[in-house]
Amino acid sequence: MIKLKNITKWVNNGNNRVFLLKDINLQFNEGEFISIMGPSGSGKSTLLNVIGMIDDADEGEYHFLDQAVHEMKEKQRALLYKQHIGFVFQAYHLIDELTVYENIETPLLYQNIKSSDRKAMVADMLDRFNIVGKKDLFPNQLSGGQQQLVGIARALIGAPTVILADEPTGNLNSKQGEEIMELFRELNEKDGVTIIQVTHSEKNAAYGNRIIHLLDGRVDHHAMEQYTKTV
Amino acid sequence: MFKNYFTIALRNIKRHRSHSVINIAGLAIALAATIVIFLVLQHEYSYDTYHKNADRIYQVIKKDVSPTETGFQVGVPFPATRALRQDFPQVTFGELYKSFGSQLTVMKDPNTISSRRFIEESGVFFADPEIFSIFDVKWMAGSAAVLKEPGKLVLAKSIAEKYFGTWQSAMDGYLKIDNNILVQVAGIIEDVPSNSDFPFAVIPSYKTFESNQQYFNYGEQINDWGLSTSDHQVYALLPENMKAASIDANLETFSRKYYRMESATKTSHFLQPLKNIHFDTRLENNGDHISNKTSLNTLALIGVLIVLMACINFINLSTALAAKRGKEVGIRKVMGSSKTQLRTQVLFETGLIVLFAGMTAVLLAWLALPYLRYIADIQQQLTLINTGSILFLVITLVVTTILAGFYPSLILSSFQPVEAIKNKINNTRVGGLSLRRVLVVLQFAFSQLLIIATIIAVGQMNFIRTADIGFDKEAVLLLQGNNDSTSLARQAAFKSDLLKLPAVKSVSFTMDPPSSLNSWTTNFAFNNNTEDLPFSLYLKTGDEHYAGTFGMNLLAGRFYTTADSARKVVINETLMQKVGIKEPSEAIGKTIRIGAGKFREIVGVVRDFKNNSLRDGIQPTAIISYPAFYSLTAIKLKSNNLGKSGEAIQQVWDKHYPEYAAETRFLDESINEFYQQEERLSRLYKVYATLAIIISCLGLYGLVSFMAVQKNKEVGIRKVLGASVGSIVYLFSKEFTVLILIAFALAAPAGWYLMNNWLQNFTYRIDIGAWVFILAVLASVIIAWLTVGYKAISAATANPVKSLKSE
Repeated sequence: MIKLKNITKWVNNGNNRVFLLKDINLQFNEGEFISIMGPSGSGKSTLLNVIGMIDDADEGEYHFLDQAVHEMKEKQRALLYKQHIGFVFQAYHLIDELTVYENIETPLLYQNIKSSDRKAMVADMLDRFNIVGKKDLFPNQLSGGQQQLVGIARALIGAPTVILADEPTGNLNSKQGEEIMELFRELNEKDGVTIIQVTHSEKNAAYGNRIIHLLDGRVDHHAMEQYTKTV
Repeated sequence: MFKNYFTIALRNIKRHRSHSVINIAGLAIALAATIVIFLVLQHEYSYDTYHKNADRIYQVIKKDVSPTETGFQVGVPFPATRALRQDFPQVTFGELYKSFGSQLTVMKDPNTISSRRFIEESGVFFADPEIFSIFDVKWMAGSAAVLKEPGKLVLAKSIAEKYFGTWQSAMDGYLKIDNNILVQVAGIIEDVPSNSDFPFAVIPSYKTFESNQQYFNYGEQINDWGLSTSDHQVYALLPENMKAASIDANLETFSRKYYRMESATKTSHFLQPLKNIHFDTRLENNGDHISNKTSLNTLALIGVLIVLMACINFINLSTALAAKRGKEVGIRKVMGSSKTQLRTQVLFETGLIVLFAGMTAVLLAWLALPYLRYIADIQQQLTLINTGSILFLVITLVVTTILAGFYPSLILSSFQPVEAIKNKINNTRVGGLSLRRVLVVLQFAFSQLLIIATIIAVGQMNFIRTADIGFDKEAVLLLQGNNDSTSLARQAAFKSDLLKLPAVKSVSFTMDPPSSLNSWTTNFAFNNNTEDLPFSLYLKTGDEHYAGTFGMNLLAGRFYTTADSARKVVINETLMQKVGIKEPSEAIGKTIRIGAGKFREIVGVVRDFKNNSLRDGIQPTAIISYPAFYSLTAIKLKSNNLGKSGEAIQQVWDKHYPEYAAETRFLDESINEFYQQEERLSRLYKVYATLAIIISCLGLYGLVSFMAVQKNKEVGIRKVLGASVGSIVYLFSKEFTVLILIAFALAAPAGWYLMNNWLQNFTYRIDIGAWVFILAVLASVIIAWLTVGYKAISAATANPVKSLKSE
């Protein structure tokens, strides 16, 4: 479903070119649960943003569902993106001025879905995550775990094929983190949603069925072998 | 979708409360100022547009070209009307004679007067029926045809009600004009709208004037083409499709046919379109003021600039706020929002703020309107809500939204989502401080320009008020009476009773005080020459106590006395110099022929006094005695404090003139009235300069509070390194001081240029000193420091640990 070929991204720092991503070649299939690991600054988030189409690579090819994303215009890309991708962030990134209900509804507004349909869809989602009682609260009235639930609900509302999660449990305590990871597993197994997560924690990485290690912007094949061996 | 925009807009307005208040307050003040300006312009440009034939109505103007000057007059010789009708049969001409200050006495029956007497400020218009084929009035009773007969009169409804109780009972009632002319009410019209220069309220037939002309001091000379008065006016209604230019061409021939062409002054006529009557400052009109189009345009410009200033505030604050809103924009982009959708959202939000501001502005304008009369020539109460003003408001709100919202919407929507989410949006990405600096400089330049204009205008007004006018205007009471034969006959007895009052110092009968807006000019010859001099002589008339009562200074000779007043004349310095005499004493004994009269001997020369307002220079003037014109009694009091002597004087008046109403005013007050327009203009400058300062301060305050957030970290680090509060406050103030100085470099030359031009309207004017500019720049620096100071100090005294931690 996702094919990355020689994806390279850099920034110019004075006369030096610093590579954020270098010759990334990866392929993800539908229904996979991928964990991307690596130390700080290894390019995990950048890779996720490139996959999520909110950031561009400087070189390389990116195919999403057999469509060449690297050749697309912004509008086409936005269309593809709106249909297929949901984002979950470490810092939740809910809109502070909107209630839980309105936050979850926001992606639907940009997909031109009728008001009555929106209502039903948001209601379903609130139900599913057991947050009906919190629908009129604002983000700052919720705990971190609850905010992340809303974040996930918002990512799921558009029924995406892929969920991209950037350290989704990074700001949560271990219990809350575990609940979120369980939720991801369930989504992956029951609903068949492809999940790509970036994580620091080995424990969370283990929820996935494949782990990609990054080091200095490259895929670290050595670490991956090591890892496979230990498992 | 829009519901979502609406919700988030409202919540954003609430969340960034201080920014919203600054934005809404600034915009509301600016919009209110603009609404008021719009209403003024709307009113001024609506004068007499309601006549259904407005574009075909013209006034016949008389133009006198002499070798030295060109004069324009609304007065047309009396015989001209008949000649015009004869020579231009296709045109409808109407004539009127207006009489200001005429007294109207309500009659119980044709022979019994009542004690109800009135003097209408709008004047009495003797009109022929054709006037109302030209101008539209609504007839409630009678018709224009009643004006065909002498002794008939038409009243406006409100006047009829004032005199007779109800307008129905006014019909067939009697009035006496100036205690002499009996007229019967034969028609009632609805009150003329306030936006008319033809305030028809008391309208006797023109035939009434013709058969009573002796009461207006006209004899045989009324048929003379050489006589004209601004009171006799002729109006024309052209047939459809006829060009005024073709009539003008024929009017040249017409003038050659009827005027004596051998005189040095060539007289001709032309047609003045109705729509120009309210704006032609060369001429007088029958309304309460003439508007200057340049002033109106300046006003419009000020309105536009004030709104622009408020928009600049808005842009500054919104882009400053953009950094804070980066996260929301980033999230929305990740959620799938397009740039257009984000831009729409920002514009929608701006629109909502502008709408709030608009509503506040309407309220402010409504509160301000009753005070309009102090700064504008418009004395009526204007209505705030009308089709035009609603349309104007809607358009202004839309334009303001676009002006204020477009740039911020571009900035916001261009954020890269990844950076926005990571809070990497900083100043360089939101248009940079440089743009904001430019905008602030523009704002300050404009408010300094207004400060400079205000200082100069106020200075000029004070200069005029305190200027030496060449005579003593203090403690002179003026009683406006009449100059019919009965009134004149009682003057001697009236005067001797007045002089018995302890408060009265001296009494003089005259037509005009030394300074007045009336002017009476004539041709004249000097020192027994037969040839007229090539410039006009200005006349003042008064009895032998004129110079004493008005405290004039004689440079040589004496004032004329009772015995020789008919044969002597007193001249002013300017006239003396214009006829080539250097020493006042040399002028004594020379002679002057005034008009076609006999030569009079010059017995005295008075120091120059201001004949008119200080806008004009001093004219060559002669003072003569001319008792037939003495309708005004000037009473010099021993002190300026009238006290009880006012009543005593009134009693003396009532004793001698029981059937006349007395119009009393102080000379210094009536002189101040000359400068009413300038007085209002300088008040207007004050008001708008204050508004401009408030708006730019709001903007500055917003900007500095943003800077305080921005420089939080820098301030923290500096404090940790040992910076004092003072040095931090300096850090903030330094930048704005520089901006103000740059603004000053723009405002000073512009202000000098504009105000120097304005001062050219005055013959007597102040010099624009350097202190004006120093004062302006100091004022704006101090105001800016005060605005910036609070925020700067609170930033400087904040605990650095906090600001550094948050990074």
